[in-house]
Amino acid sequence: MNEDMVALDVPRVDGLGIELVLPATIKLTGMITRKDPSQELTHFFRQVHTDAIARHLSEVCVDVSGLSFVNSTAIRLFIDWASWLRGGTPPSYKLRFLTSRRFTWQATAFLALQSLMKEVLVVDRMD
Amino acid sequence: MPAEEPNDVSPGTTPPKNAWKPMVFMRFRPAWAYIDGIREFGRFFCETTFGTPELAQRACVVIQEALENAVKYSNESLESELELLIQSDGDQIEFSVSSMPDAEHVQRLRSELAQHRTLDPEQAYVAAFLRASNEPGESARLGLARIRYEGGVELSLHEQEGGRVRVTAKGKL
Repeated sequence: MNEDMVALDVPRVDGLGIELVLPATIKLTGMITRKDPSQELTHFFRQVHTDAIARHLSEVCVDVSGLSFVNSTAIRLFIDWASWLRGGTPPSYKLRFLTSRRFTWQATAFLALQSLMKEVLVVDRMD
Repeated sequence: MPAEEPNDVSPGTTPPKNAWKPMVFMRFRPAWAYIDGIREFGRFFCETTFGTPELAQRACVVIQEALENAVKYSNESLESELELLIQSDGDQIEFSVSSMPDAEHVQRLRSELAQHRTLDPEQAYVAAFLRASNEPGESARLGLARIRYEGGVELSLHEQEGGRVRVTAKGKL
């Protein structure tokens, strides 16, 4: 990830760690259980999405393997992100989620999402 | 060897016949700020009592989503306190949340649960994701589907006099 990506505004969200990892990974750790996490996170994900398109990235990784729990509003944010990509013809990049078997919500949520959006989304397990 | 304490909750121990049935009951104001703490207590209770981290994770989903719904739609009366009950009997576990929602929400809940009953938990879960992906900007409405599929429980609604409703999630331990 070049300096442009590093310059993104990373929001501060209670209980959630957000780290940009070279070359094109966003690492999320902790939990997302706020009433409306979209206030901060939609803007951030949009920035990443726009930046990835501008720099012709073929893939953006979102490492959620340390994200132990989320509410359904947070799952909605991942669905929305994948939907932005599906809207592009052809999709401009692939969204790769790195998950962990330690947290059962990840297996169910990302498998469901992948089954609906195979053309834009890849789900890998880290362990 | 000393006799087993009736209240021993060591994971994996078989409770003696005169044991208390594992149970938690809480009553509290419908405030978002309490949800994290109550969910984490539910996780602790399930893991400590039943010794299964998998059940503890299921409990987190059920408690989080059920309480979020209850807090969001509770009316503003002084009688709108929430009640959470977690109890097990044999190989069953039950989570129930009682609340005083506005009438419009009760109708919506009734209708959503009726829809859920037409699909198995996995189908309803995928259908909820599909709906969410086709309705950007709308509220997530994934909660009930998550409770059923991720929580491994079935849902029922009991309407009581005075407008109080109890949503019960029951499944295998």
